[in-house]
Order: sequence, then C-alpha cells, then structure tokens
Amino acid sequence: MTGKRSLVSIVDDDESVRESLPDLLRLSGFAAEAFSSAEAFLASDVVSETGCLLLDIAMPGMSGPDLQEELARRRQKIPIVFITGLIDGSVRPRLLARGAVECLIKPFSEAALLDAVRAALRRPYSGQVTAP
Amino acid sequence: MTGQPATCRGGWTGLQVSSNGAVANGVATELTSILDTIEVPLVVVRSDRTMAAFNQAAADALGLSLPDIGRTLRDISVLARVPRLEQSCAEVITGGVESRIDFRDGEAWFVVRISPYTRGGDQMAGTVLTFTDLTAFRAAIDQAIYERECTSAILNTVADPLAVVGADQRVQSGNRSFYTMFGVSPDPTEPTSVYELGNGAFDSAPVRTQLQAAVAALSLENLREVLADTHAFQPVEVDQVVTAKGERTLIVDSRPLSFPGHSERRALVRFQDITARKQAEAAKDLRSEEELRRSEAFLAEGQRLSSTGSFSWKVATDQITWSEQLYRIYEVEIGVPVTLDAIRARVHPEDLTLLENMFEQAREGVNDLEWQYRLLMPDRSITYLHAVAHATRDQDGQLEYIAAVQDVTGRRMSEEALATARSKLANVARVTSLGVLTASIAHEVNQPLSGIITNAGTCLRMLDANPPNLEGARETAKRTIRDGMRASDVVTRLRALFSRDEYRLESLDLSEVTREVIALSLGDVQRNRVVLQSELAEDLPTITGDRIQLQQVILNLLRNASDAMAEVHDRPRQLLIRTEREDGDRVRVSVRDAGPGFDPQSMTKLFDAFYTTKTDGMGIGLSISRSIIERHHGRLWAEGNDGPGATFSFSIPSGPAGVPDAVR
Repeated sequence: MTGKRSLVSIVDDDESVRESLPDLLRLSGFAAEAFSSAEAFLASDVVSETGCLLLDIAMPGMSGPDLQEELARRRQKIPIVFITGLIDGSVRPRLLARGAVECLIKPFSEAALLDAVRAALRRPYSGQVTAP
Repeated sequence: MTGQPATCRGGWTGLQVSSNGAVANGVATELTSILDTIEVPLVVVRSDRTMAAFNQAAADALGLSLPDIGRTLRDISVLARVPRLEQSCAEVITGGVESRIDFRDGEAWFVVRISPYTRGGDQMAGTVLTFTDLTAFRAAIDQAIYERECTSAILNTVADPLAVVGADQRVQSGNRSFYTMFGVSPDPTEPTSVYELGNGAFDSAPVRTQLQAAVAALSLENLREVLADTHAFQPVEVDQVVTAKGERTLIVDSRPLSFPGHSERRALVRFQDITARKQAEAAKDLRSEEELRRSEAFLAEGQRLSSTGSFSWKVATDQITWSEQLYRIYEVEIGVPVTLDAIRARVHPEDLTLLENMFEQAREGVNDLEWQYRLLMPDRSITYLHAVAHATRDQDGQLEYIAAVQDVTGRRMSEEALATARSKLANVARVTSLGVLTASIAHEVNQPLSGIITNAGTCLRMLDANPPNLEGARETAKRTIRDGMRASDVVTRLRALFSRDEYRLESLDLSEVTREVIALSLGDVQRNRVVLQSELAEDLPTITGDRIQLQQVILNLLRNASDAMAEVHDRPRQLLIRTEREDGDRVRVSVRDAGPGFDPQSMTKLFDAFYTTKTDGMGIGLSISRSIIERHHGRLWAEGNDGPGATFSFSIPSGPAGVPDAVR
C-alpha cells in the first residue's frame, strides 16, 4: 500500500476558499481538489489519494472535527490542516492534541498555508497518529 | 232554710204565765212584742227538749209555726237539721255553760248560740237558741282570704324582695324573695330592723333618710315637706350586702304605704339585685380594658414585626412622642424624652439638610409628607428609613403630625444588591452576546477576507510566472473584487441587524410609568438634596410603547436634572417632573431643573456631547434617549426656563398610531 498520496483535498463550505486555494496550491506545484462538504469528500474516490486534507471546521452537516473522527474510524489517517474563521482560542490546542498537523486562522498568509501543507505531506503514512 | 210561711207574730204560747194575772200578761205581751222585733231568730227550748217559744224572726227564718210548740226538737224538721242540737241543749242545761254550734245547711253558714236560762232560781229551765246567718260574713271572709292569698302569691312570685316596714323601720312582713334573700323568718314578736339586714349593709345615711321619709310621708303636709327634699326618694345603691347567696349589690327603694282607715305609718321597701348587672359592667370594662391592652399589644407587635415606629409631633411646642419601636430603630433608650436635637444627633450628616427641609414644610402646614433618610449609628452602621407623615389637629386644634417611620435598610440592601446584580447580569449579557456577535462577525468577514488575500497572492504569483498568466491573474483579481463586495455585504447586514432592537409593546399610562421611576430614584435624588415635586396628570390617554425603554429615558432626564443642580447652593434644588396631555392626543413628559441651564446655541451639542453611554448601572445617554423616543414616533427636546435651569421634554402620540418602527 504505498500509493503516492500527493493530493491536497480541500473541504470548505465557503466558495471563496474553494475558488482561491486550489489555484494557489497548483501554482505551488501541488495537486489540489476542492469539496463543498465533508460528505462530498467521503463520497468521492480520492480519499485514499489524499495526502493532506485542508479542512474547514464549522460546516453545515458533518463538521471538520466530525470528519476527522470519521476518517479515523475508517482507518484513513490522513494528515489534516484545519482552516477556520473561528477565533475561539481553545479550539487550536484541542485539535492539535487530536492529531491535526496544524490549525490556521483565516485570513492566513500563503506562506503559513504552504508550510502546513508541506508538513502534512511529509508525514509518514503509517497510520499512526503522532503528536507534532 | 225553708219552712212554713211566716206568721205575723212569734209563738209564745208555750211559756207559762205566772199567776199574777193581768199585770203578768201585760208584761209578757210587751216582752214578747219586744222579742218579736229583734231580727235575730230566737227559740226557747225547755229542759225536756221541747220547743216552748219562738220569735217572729225565727218564724220567718226557720219557718216555725204555732203547732210546733210543745214538740220535741227532733220532730221539728228544720231544727232537726242542726247537728247534735238536743245533746248540746242537754249539756248546756246540766253544765250551765253556753255553747255554740256552727253548721252548714247547703250553701249557707250558720251559728247557733245555746244559752241556759232560769226562772229566777238556780235550776236551769231550759235553753235559748239564737241563730245567726254567717253566710255573707263567711263569704266575705273567704273572699278576703282568697284575695290575700292571691296577693301573697303575686308578691311571692316577684323576684325582687319586698318588705313592709313599720314606723320603727322594722320589718312587718315580706314576700318569699325577701325571706330567702335575707334569711330572716317572719317573727311578729321580734321584728327585724332594716338596718340589721344583710349584715348591717343598709345602716347608712342615704338609706336611713330614704326609709324615714317613706315612713313619715303620710299626711299631705308631710309629703310636701319630704318632697322638698327630693333626694329622700332617690333609690340608693348598696353593695357588699351579705345575703344567703353571698355578697350582693342591691338598690333600695322605699315608698310610703298607707291604707284607708289605718293611721299606722308604713313603707314598702323594694330591694333590687343588680349584682349581675354590675358584674357584667365590670366585666365589660375589664374586657374593654383588656381589648384596649390587647390592641395596644397588637400595635406594638405589628410595629416590631414590620420595623415600623410611629411618632407624633406637636409643631407649635415641638413636643414629640415616639412609639417603642421607634426608640429601638433610633437605638435610644425607651422612655427618654425626645427632642429635635436628639433626632438630629442620630441623622446621617448628609441627610440633615433634607430633614430640615421636611421640618420647614411641616411648619408651613403641608398636609402629607414623605421622605427617606438615613441614620448614622454610633457604631458607624447606617440605617435607611422611609417616613410618611400626615397633618392633623389635636384636641386643642393645634397642628400635629402623625407619622410612621419604617426601617427599610434590609430592603434597601437587597434592592441595591439586586440592582448591582441586575446591572452585572446586563453587562454579562451584553458582553456575552457581544462576544458571540463578534465571533459571528469575525467569521462572516474572515471568509471573504481570506479569499481576498489568497486570491491576491495567487494573482501576484500568476503575474510573476514566466510567461505571466494574465488570464489567471485577471480571474483572481475578479474574485478579489467579488470577495471584497461580500465582505462589505456582511458589514451592511450586520449594521441592519444591530439597529433592529427587540421591543415589548404594551399600553402604557405615562403617569404610572413616571411614578415607578420616581419611586425607584427617590432615594438617590433626595440624597443629592434635591426636592422632587411631581405633577402627574390623572387622565392621560394611553400610549403604546416599550415600558423599560421609556423608563430609561425618564430616568436619564431625572439623573441629568439632578446632576445639573449638583453645584447649586443658593436656592432650593427643585426638580419638577410633570406629565400632561398635549394637543392632538399626545402625551408630554417634562423634567424641569433649577440648575445653570444652557445657552440655545449649544442645544444640538447636548445631544451629541452626551452621546457616549453613561453605563453606571442603568444610565443611557441623551442621544439614545432621543432615538428611543423617535422610535415611538415622538420627539425629545430641551429649552431654557424662565428663571434658572432647563426643562427637557418628550412627547409621544397616544394610541396604536404610536407603535414604534422596528427599523429606522
């Protein structure tokens, strides 16, 4: 099972994000695809190819953290970079403790985003969740 | 007694005539004629019990006739009816002693007297019978007895003891009640003196006078004399009379008692037992006393329970009386005489002026006063008091205030605690909702912002590419603009959200609304030594509006007015709040102060200058007040007074037309 997981999947219900992020990522040399909901991502066929998940937190239906749990259940330990507009200070540490690679607060800089994506893609895909 | 028809003459033929011939005959005839005239029936019976003679009356009454002469008694039917007549005659002849027989013949009563007679010697020659008809006599006696019995029965049923008392003031007779009460028996040989009755209870001057007057008053002259001294006939109340039933209180009443034909002086004495009545009266007095004591105890207890004391103040003399509870409230020893200075010593220094104001108003004779003030105790603790006074006139027509003073410290503390808690809560609520709002705003805005930044970055990269990706750059630039618009929309939406406050609409009487505000702020206003007067119209039309918000406005105006007079020292800090009807079915509320006022040019600045919300508890600024009023379709304005200070007013249309707009 050593398929190259190089896809960056973006799951966010916000249109601006879905439109702007893939372009930036592609320009930086990454493959990127965007989904409007967690359910849409799960229903897609690129889950196993995803090496990094850019995940919004607050979404209608299944939320970001819900998707994180669901993927863990399915033993799809995809490295996750949360992106959120929420400014609740307690959110970030919690998510990191649960295994997220990073949690970025919108608006974030390109540099921060790209760093987080690279870190995620570098994660050894042994299925182990290690603390960063 | 019926017999034969009466003869004209008696029958004397049975009597022997002496041998002395004509003279004897003449005497006999005269004698017999005399005997015939007497009305008493007379019969002569010989010792051999034969009838010798009878007079005319006997002939008429007994029906005797001449043929009866010489017959034995038992053969004469009418005489035979007399029981034991022959035996009695025989006994009289042998014994020589007169006797009588009472007998009844049908309904009639008779008595026969049997007397012996002689013919001049010792030998009884026979008996003379005289008959007396007692019927009428007997009937009269029976009647008299009957009447006496009746009277006696009547007297004996009379509950009041009655006694007939003689001139010697001794009891001759009494009714049953009398004997029962005094335990005296009717003893004719030892009549009891009235003054010995009841263990000597009647031996007193008033009773003596009465009794002597009653006994004396027989002749008309006596009566006049006695009546001149009318006290004599007043009933006398005597207590501690010892009777068979214990000690009694009696009323003694004597009246002269006279019978025609009897010169003996007597009085009828009546004793009336009023013991029960006196006991009932005493019990009632006791009860009233007890009721009075009880109601006083209730009052005192009520005052204690409600921490209310009362006092009266005679204004002219400054005489002050405190209830016990008031002593406790002031922590002064109960009973110590109260003076105005003593009161001043306890009042909080900051409230002394207020108190003097109240005294001033009282001296001018204001009808009702109400004020709140504080006491400063020796241990530096503070007591909050609420006083209400009413002017009255005392029995001399002098001005006197009756007042009630309640210790409201507990209530004030909890009110203040409540107010603090409320405002804290309000703050927290504000902060919380603000926090949520902020988060929401942030979230809403950050999305497009993020898009803008990302797209801009992407645009730059595309332009930096070799060759530049102009198409891509154009695209990202468009997206940037669109995101910018989105952000702007968010802001607009939020602003609209902000101004849409929630309303709770109801029908309001602004006088009542104002009254509530006044009650809430009375303490504060008076602490600033402001004299608050209100003229609230009774008949305002109702307006539809949000009570809390309107109260905020009124409170704001009140506070501003009070604050405006903070530096006023040379005149009374008068604050007048008034509600009235305005033309066109509007209601106006105005607050007038006696502060420095303002110059008309700076009027608009006022509403701006106060724009920053004064959030010390419940305050809102003038600007917000104005917008609240405007939302009620009203207007808020200010003008200077004739005289010192300014008046701030707002007016609102009444009725459903005044429904506030949701969005302006």
